[in-house]
Amino acid sequence: MLVAPSTALAQPATSTPTPSSSAPIVYVNPPKSLIPEGRTLFSEDCETCHGVDAEGSYRAPNLQGLGAATIDFWITTGRMPLADPTVQAAEKPPRLTNQQAEAIAAYVTSLAPGGPGIPSVNLKTANISRGEFLFSEDCAACHTITGVGDALADNVFAPSLYPATPTQVAEAIRTGPGNMPRFGPGTLSNQEVADIVRYVEYLHAPNDRGGAGLGHVGPVTEGFVAIVFALGSLMVAGYWIGGRATR
Amino acid sequence: MTTSKVRPTSPDHEDAYDRPVIERLIAVSFTLSVLATVGLGVTYWLGGQPQVEGALLFVALGGIGVGIVAWGKYLVPQGPYVQERHELRSDDVEREAMHASLGRGLRQLERRSFLLRLLGASVGAFGLINLFPFIRSLGPVPGKSLFLTDWKPGSRLVTASGRVVTENDLEVGGLLTVFPEGYENSPMNAIDQVVLVRPATTDLVTRPGRETWGPKGYLAFSKVCTHAGCPVGLYQQLTQQLLCPCHQSLFDVLTGATNVFGPAPRPLPQLPLYIDGEGVLRAQAGFDEPVGPGFWERGA
Repeated sequence: MLVAPSTALAQPATSTPTPSSSAPIVYVNPPKSLIPEGRTLFSEDCETCHGVDAEGSYRAPNLQGLGAATIDFWITTGRMPLADPTVQAAEKPPRLTNQQAEAIAAYVTSLAPGGPGIPSVNLKTANISRGEFLFSEDCAACHTITGVGDALADNVFAPSLYPATPTQVAEAIRTGPGNMPRFGPGTLSNQEVADIVRYVEYLHAPNDRGGAGLGHVGPVTEGFVAIVFALGSLMVAGYWIGGRATR
Repeated sequence: MTTSKVRPTSPDHEDAYDRPVIERLIAVSFTLSVLATVGLGVTYWLGGQPQVEGALLFVALGGIGVGIVAWGKYLVPQGPYVQERHELRSDDVEREAMHASLGRGLRQLERRSFLLRLLGASVGAFGLINLFPFIRSLGPVPGKSLFLTDWKPGSRLVTASGRVVTENDLEVGGLLTVFPEGYENSPMNAIDQVVLVRPATTDLVTRPGRETWGPKGYLAFSKVCTHAGCPVGLYQQLTQQLLCPCHQSLFDVLTGATNVFGPAPRPLPQLPLYIDGEGVLRAQAGFDEPVGPGFWERGA
């Protein structure tokens, strides 16, 4: 299996890598022809906070050199543009199209090269079992093993992975958005990232052998259902079986 | 023994319900149970399906239960009935006879006091030997194991899969769980687990006296929470905090994993690192304090 050398992402090729059917992930930088459209969109939607040349401000971070994957992730998940920069950006229906996200990514990448391109994941050769192992090691601590997400410290949360597309999952792993750690090619190979993405895709419709998944949030809802329905029906049965004592 | 109704029930009591209808319902209940049991057997035989089997088991057992309860509640004459107990105290003649019998036996035993003492000694010795499995069941004596981990001077850092960690493996904001080489699959590796983070690319000093511990921005801390021993694996890389999922203890990475919130009583012990000539991350030494929760012999 083809595995990228550990420095492959540090300086990604500016030209499109030749797509190979055996490559687990192909990183593509958006075409330069989109730069003019991206410049217009950036000035409309991003410049107020991120600055004219994406150099950042007291409100928002510097975007130079972060790469197309970062830009694409924040826009296509609907997190950007953001109304209130003081709270954690949440996933919502995106305001810009995928094409517009690519255009902005092309423009920002043209200002300063670097960072990974937009990944496209080959799920056919991915190993879901290996993905589950790696997910439990590197992801489940925050996102939980069912991918439903959980609270962290100081008003921060690990979001649910259910709305995420394969590309977005790979982008998040490689770029580490917000408080999420960044997993570079030295930590996880492209094949390993593809395995994890395959497992996250499986989580969208997991095989719930025990019956209803109850939102996959674990013992809290399960206990609630057990107490209300199981204990409740036991009480009704007890009321029917028993009789009032005669005085 | 006398049996009497405390309060006479009306002779019409049993007819308060429509008996043929009740009988039919009970019959239906038992029949449903039989059908469900047959269905359960067939489903199991055909390879099984957990939800269907569960539902059929519910009907099979529930049918029996509902039938029995309804039978007892609606078709059987209702009490309450009282059965008088006989006198609990034995009469005086019996008590006198027993005292006399015990007294005779006691005198017989006391005549052979030497044998009686030997009997006591043998039973006592056997009782003592029974303490041995009890003591063993308390587990091995911890000895120095609470103070020591498998990290030695020069231990190479490896991942859970055994891959050696080199200086280019983590990007800024990266996280990795590592073990001392050779112990990644050890049954005792829970105390060896270390969370490796990289907040920067330049050497980091978390506290005075730890000037060389964080080469090229790599910091390594024991992953075992100092409160209750949970794995502290939640790394918030923007705020440089490590969070324990069990009781929300929060540790500030850049000041040496200082405990800043929650029940953890101490910072996470830091593992001193160095990078060897081949770029491989190694431990300068083991931890300079016991990892994990406090224990009696640890002291403050």
